[in-house]
Amino acid sequence: MTVTAAHHEATRRGLAFPATWRRSALVPYVLISPALLCLVTFSVLSIFVAAAVSLTNLDISGLADYSQVRFIGLHNYQTLFGDPAFWEALGNTAFFVAVGVPTLVIGSLAIAIALNYSRSRFFRALRAFYFVPAITAIVAISLIWGNLYNSQFGLLNWLLSLVGAGPVEWLTDPTIAKFSVALVAIWRGSGLDIIIFLAALQAIPPEYYEAAAVDGAGEWQKIFRITVPLMRFAIFFVTVTTLINWMQFFDEPYVLTQGGPVHATTSMSLYIYQQGFRYNEFGFASASSIVLFAIIAAVTILQLRARQADNA
Amino acid sequence: MRSAVPKHITAIGVFAMVLWITACGGSSTTATAADKGPIQVWTMEDSASFTALMQNFTAQTGIPVQVEAVPWANVNDKLTTAVASGNGPDVMQIGLSLLPSFESAGALMDLSQYVSGHPALQSSNYLGAVASDKINPSGKVLSVPWVSDVRILFYRTDILNAVGISSPPSTWSQFHDDAAILAQRGKGKYGYYIPQWDSALPVEFTWEAGGNVMQNGKVTFDTPQFKAAADFYISFYKDKLVPTASDFDQTQGFISGSAPMVISGPYLAASIKSAAPQLDGKWNVAVLPRDQTSTSLFAGSNMGIWSKSKHVEASLRLLDYLAQTNAQLSWYKAANELPTAKSALADSTLTSDPMVKVYTSQLQDAQLLPLVPKWDKISQALLDSLNSIVLKGADETSTLSTLNATVSSLQT
Repeated sequence: MTVTAAHHEATRRGLAFPATWRRSALVPYVLISPALLCLVTFSVLSIFVAAAVSLTNLDISGLADYSQVRFIGLHNYQTLFGDPAFWEALGNTAFFVAVGVPTLVIGSLAIAIALNYSRSRFFRALRAFYFVPAITAIVAISLIWGNLYNSQFGLLNWLLSLVGAGPVEWLTDPTIAKFSVALVAIWRGSGLDIIIFLAALQAIPPEYYEAAAVDGAGEWQKIFRITVPLMRFAIFFVTVTTLINWMQFFDEPYVLTQGGPVHATTSMSLYIYQQGFRYNEFGFASASSIVLFAIIAAVTILQLRARQADNA
Repeated sequence: MRSAVPKHITAIGVFAMVLWITACGGSSTTATAADKGPIQVWTMEDSASFTALMQNFTAQTGIPVQVEAVPWANVNDKLTTAVASGNGPDVMQIGLSLLPSFESAGALMDLSQYVSGHPALQSSNYLGAVASDKINPSGKVLSVPWVSDVRILFYRTDILNAVGISSPPSTWSQFHDDAAILAQRGKGKYGYYIPQWDSALPVEFTWEAGGNVMQNGKVTFDTPQFKAAADFYISFYKDKLVPTASDFDQTQGFISGSAPMVISGPYLAASIKSAAPQLDGKWNVAVLPRDQTSTSLFAGSNMGIWSKSKHVEASLRLLDYLAQTNAQLSWYKAANELPTAKSALADSTLTSDPMVKVYTSQLQDAQLLPLVPKWDKISQALLDSLNSIVLKGADETSTLSTLNATVSSLQT
């Protein structure tokens, strides 16, 4: 179709811009401007606001009377790096990422491949079943898991007592609590990752498997030689988003343990929340969030670089 | 959920912007001669009972009242947005622990010039612990007492009798010994329960040891009395007399008998009565065991007027009404919350109930936690230190000296 024909077609449907506009370099920008405006207002601008606030002593009295807000340079950052609770929160976040991300990515991929074996009614029901945690409200999840884990009357300890095992302090032992909280988050996060992997799996043409079968490839060979390589982009996407989510890990420790016992499950995001919205130290909380932002940005850029190097 | 832009930073940034934008839309204050409201009240209570109480007030004064119940968990959010936007209620209830935040936010109006016109609001009408100079910065009246709450010892008479203890412990050493006897009942049975979130308990112990955590306007834990309190606190863990699980449920533990002695407020009595009516007569309350004193924690709420309220006169009439004996007693009947007015506490409605008598006598020997804005952070550091000693086995001497350093650096 020629340009004129396309224009006529568009004019007939009443969709065209005036010809002078259409040729203008501005058009793409006009088209993306609504999305861009939202992004700039609610994301980019707020990052700059937080960066500016992080250099001040803004707290609740400063909120009431702006004359009390003072520029204090990098003092908030100095305090932050000198706070052992910050380093503990950073360490906890690293632990959650190290445990949660590989488990989620590999586990979800394995479950998705298994679920993809059949389209029978039973397997379709199973898919819905695996997606349920992803759409359940976090408050309901925390109530249920809190009761399962409870050391006094929890179901898990009761089941253990039936087989003669002693009670486990699921949420009250500083080390075990980290794993308990991570487990709930893995359970809750798996649904979405499985759906993304399933969609990617169904995009793989069946001919490849048929050809491999003709050549005598076994099931494992099919998975590692065809499925996994063809899903590289899906795996990359899920890894990046899961990693970002886990670096901002918040919901589960907030509702299950409030970061306890003795800070053992306080993640970076929870630390920031407590400083900002519990102690009302907005300047200090902004400094912490800028640091977390820098870490997440650095990790994500590294991953994108690695991906480019991989493609080249 | 899956956005590439970190949500934490967006949250704080958007929050700051909203505060800034709303702050631009301020409004001017105008006073009217015969102030007939309507006034808006923020209460942290069950709003149905409070609305019922307000109907009496409206009938007496012709001032309509709108009640908004703010859940405890949202109070801080409500406060920050109200402060930033300048849009608040007229009258608000302030939990004593939140008083420093409200004051430093400039949310409360100074009522000192008005109090003389309202006899019910005179400081001498209230319990000594909440006398005007104890709850207000010097020379100001930013809030007036409303309801009181106090910690007392709850104990299971049936279980104590079964192990041969005929009366509740009245001294620290009896308290520890009784807990030790009760803990010997077997696995999963304890003598006492220490809530791991309760930063008031070590402070109560310090008062009981004859000390104070405030010196020259600053919080300090660097005193022999605090050391005695910390040792007492730690001894219950060291001798395995209390549960170590942070999710141990106080009410359940008391009802099941797992923790037959607990220190809590009158609200626990209400929970026990509703959850386990079959235990009636098998438990009782007593004033706290003494070391030098048996001083307890005075908790509760005050009432204050929003600094930008346009209905100051009507709001003052509401505060006056709430301070009167009748309103204090009807609120006690409706919500089971203890009065702060001495006249109401002396009323036969309260003195005829033996348990309430214990509450009121403990109220005579109760103190407020330090009312300083940094208390939240300081008390968290206090809990973290004690919990890391008792739960993680940290060294007591070095942990407490780190705590002292943290506390003094928080106040510079």
